[in-house]
Amino acid sequence: MTNESRTREVVEKTLDFVSSRSSLSRRDFLFVTGGILVAVSTLKAHADKETPLIIMDQAAGLVIADSTRCVGCLRCELACTEFNDGKASPSTARIKVRRNLNYGPQSMYSGQRSAGNWGNGLIVQDLCKQCAHPVPCATACPNDAIVLDPSTNARVVDSEKCVGCRMCQRACPWEMISFDSDTQKATKCFLCNGHPKCVEACPSGALSYVAWRDVTAEVPPRVIPTAIISPEKTQSCMDCHQR
Amino acid sequence: MATYGGWAGKVLRVNLSSGKISTEDTIEKYKDFLGGTGIGYKVMWDEVPTGTKPFDPENKLIFAIGPLAGTGAPCNGRTAITSLWPTCWPRPLVGSGHMGGDFAAQLKYAGYDAIIVEGKADRPVWLAVTNENVEIKDARNLWGQGIRRASLDISREMGPEASVAAIGQAGEYMVPMSVVINSFSHSAGGIGGVMGSKHLKAIGVLGTGSIRIGGDKGEWEKVIKLHLSLFGANNQHVVPNSPQPWAEHYNPRSRWVASAGRQWGAALPAIDTGTCDPHDLNKIAYRTNNAAYFLGDKAWKYTIRGNGCTACPIRCHTRLKVPSVAEKYGISETGQSTCVRLMFGGKFFKTFPDGPKGETAIEACMVGMHFADDLGLWDNYGQLQRDFQTLYAKGIIREKVPEKEFKSYSWDKYEQGDPSFLFELLPRMATKQGELGTALGLGTGHLLERWEIPEQEWQQNHALLYWKQGHPKHHSSEDAGQCGVIINTQYNRDAQCHSHTNFTRNGLPLEVQKQLATKIWGSADAVDTAGAFAPMNQYKAKMAKWSLLRKELHDSISLCNWMGPWIASPLKERGYSGEDSIESLLYSTVTGDKKSREELDQIAERIFVLHRALTIRDMETKDMRTKHDTIPDWVFEDAKGKAPFSKGTIRMDKEDIRLAMDMFYEEMGWDKATGSPTRETYRKLGLDDIAAELAKRGLLP
Repeated sequence: MTNESRTREVVEKTLDFVSSRSSLSRRDFLFVTGGILVAVSTLKAHADKETPLIIMDQAAGLVIADSTRCVGCLRCELACTEFNDGKASPSTARIKVRRNLNYGPQSMYSGQRSAGNWGNGLIVQDLCKQCAHPVPCATACPNDAIVLDPSTNARVVDSEKCVGCRMCQRACPWEMISFDSDTQKATKCFLCNGHPKCVEACPSGALSYVAWRDVTAEVPPRVIPTAIISPEKTQSCMDCHQR
Repeated sequence: MATYGGWAGKVLRVNLSSGKISTEDTIEKYKDFLGGTGIGYKVMWDEVPTGTKPFDPENKLIFAIGPLAGTGAPCNGRTAITSLWPTCWPRPLVGSGHMGGDFAAQLKYAGYDAIIVEGKADRPVWLAVTNENVEIKDARNLWGQGIRRASLDISREMGPEASVAAIGQAGEYMVPMSVVINSFSHSAGGIGGVMGSKHLKAIGVLGTGSIRIGGDKGEWEKVIKLHLSLFGANNQHVVPNSPQPWAEHYNPRSRWVASAGRQWGAALPAIDTGTCDPHDLNKIAYRTNNAAYFLGDKAWKYTIRGNGCTACPIRCHTRLKVPSVAEKYGISETGQSTCVRLMFGGKFFKTFPDGPKGETAIEACMVGMHFADDLGLWDNYGQLQRDFQTLYAKGIIREKVPEKEFKSYSWDKYEQGDPSFLFELLPRMATKQGELGTALGLGTGHLLERWEIPEQEWQQNHALLYWKQGHPKHHSSEDAGQCGVIINTQYNRDAQCHSHTNFTRNGLPLEVQKQLATKIWGSADAVDTAGAFAPMNQYKAKMAKWSLLRKELHDSISLCNWMGPWIASPLKERGYSGEDSIESLLYSTVTGDKKSREELDQIAERIFVLHRALTIRDMETKDMRTKHDTIPDWVFEDAKGKAPFSKGTIRMDKEDIRLAMDMFYEEMGWDKATGSPTRETYRKLGLDDIAAELAKRGLLP
């Protein structure tokens, strides 16, 4: 497939997805998007460097979790970092459970109504949603260092491009980007080439690797993103979104 | 100096008298003792002089972990806490308590292999450890609060991920029968009062660092998967307790209780535990439900889920939701614990209106957990409750407690099995109110002395399960005959060793156990069926030595001896064999310091013998055999008068046990007459300096 037709396919797919949940008609979209270039960046084949990255092909899969099955052992976080990075490092794990272990996502400020071991016992696992367009972390990255993994289309940090500015961390509403102080680079869930270590490690079957679907609207954000998007990218956004 | 994976590399030392906070190098100072109890005993030997009392400022508290803590090695969650043991009677000696939870992992991520607490603060304090930032903080606002409130307040200050190990009112009042607790329900007995004596309310730990895997990460993944493949349920019971489609064997005593139709009934919605094929490693966490095992089948419907330590796939704590207790007793409808602590409340009572495993029993257990884990009370492995029942039944409480105080208790409620009785008893025990509360809080040895009851009376009563020095048996003759007896003579509190029982009670048929035993201890004769014991032989002595060394190894490298060792497995294709070198594989790969099974066992022996040396030094006698390694009379008796070695009795024979101790001492390289290690044994273990010190004191055989 040529780069051009591949790009076209990605745009079509993304538009299918976006228009299915917005009031804009597909025709409107095709109309307003006429003429813009869309970069599809992967680890292997980088498109024109000058082109701001906007639309990414959707991921093949994602990891989903069942909170009622989670037993709070954190073996997922350890498998993620030990088997991938050679260190036990919950603070850089790409699945995040520890932060909810004691008091749940609402922390201890909800008193006895909280979740976690000190609340009602429910342990909430936080996972990367492998967001569809617009991918917040990738869009925020000033170096376009968040790219597609060729095996799963997972959004991954290209550590050669990452300069450790941490803008991606500020972009993710679910706080799913980690910063590794050893490497001074960001890191995020890359789906372990389609065989996620966390899923394999879970002793209670609380995690599953499934075909991708959009779960961004189902999980409440943890923070309000404060990333700054570069003017070039903002302009590209406006190419489609401006009426 | 070589750098190793696994260890954090630093030991934190906090002097509460001077406020001085310092660190030392773990590898340089403690590598020969691995970590955990190894560091604990070493510090006690070097720094705490003979004659020190548990609540003296000169006593030290060593919270220590090993190279596996905080990693993905399964079952690494227990922190060993070593100190002079307040319930050890008639004189305090070294002991260790072990708490699971998340504390060990957090401590490692914060960058420490141990915290040595020394001295005594002049006012209530707590210790905040956030990575390299360590601070002694004012705890006057926390003093008087329960563990739950103190933990919440500290979490608010440190952040929700912190692990807080706190004492309750019992520890503050220096009640010997008190605990420290972290992660909601993970306690270490005996330690609470020592913390209280130092005015130390809590230690909060928050770590954001990492632990390097010293060996190849691919190898590490393989070792962990091998280890997990050998797992059974809690206590490494490797067969299910009911017939399962995949299982060749089952055993009703097994803690592998999962089965189709048995559900975590309080999960929303309920989750069926299913058949749990041992090859399905994504189902390990369903195999065990200790609430159902200990409280009966009624507990299934109240089960929210399993819980436990960081990195452990066996969830030996069960989280329960019992709505009726909120309404009836005004306590939280959720509670969580394991084993004896699950039954803390229930075991005070002789009867309940609806039977021993009815709804009231479960309610009593919920009330018990509510108080024990907030006030911070210890049960001394159930001895507290057995003592209480016996003292009441014999009329001793009525006799010893002043009449006015006696009448202030609702004994009618007690006799009817009304859990609300615990509202009268437990807070008074935690705050030393009155004669009864004070006496119960002392621990068995000191209680008997205070009430002028001869210890022998307790040692003759089989139902009490009392062993010696103020403490009960912990898996003795009932599980492993002579081997169990030997093990129960060795410590200064209940033995806490599971190496032997986790093999003999693993649920496999005797002929399979005998095949496995031959590989490990050299002969099938090492094991018998419980209740059909054969006379002593040297293989039983080998098994006892192996069991004790593995316990100390586990307590030092941070593996749970309640779950291991892993010498049997649920795998038919392996002939149910496990892997006797799993500790060596884990240790070598995580640290990068290659050590064979034999080399690790030798270090474990060094640690165990150091414990022995500490006991000899502080008892100021080398005559361990008659003064320390004693065996209660009930071991040699049978209620129905059955002869030793006959079927259906665990009765032991006195001559045979004498031979057992001979064989054990010989196996250990200890002098048979005194039961003390010889100079040559100390030398072989690299403990020349210890031998020299003991020689100076006339304590070498």
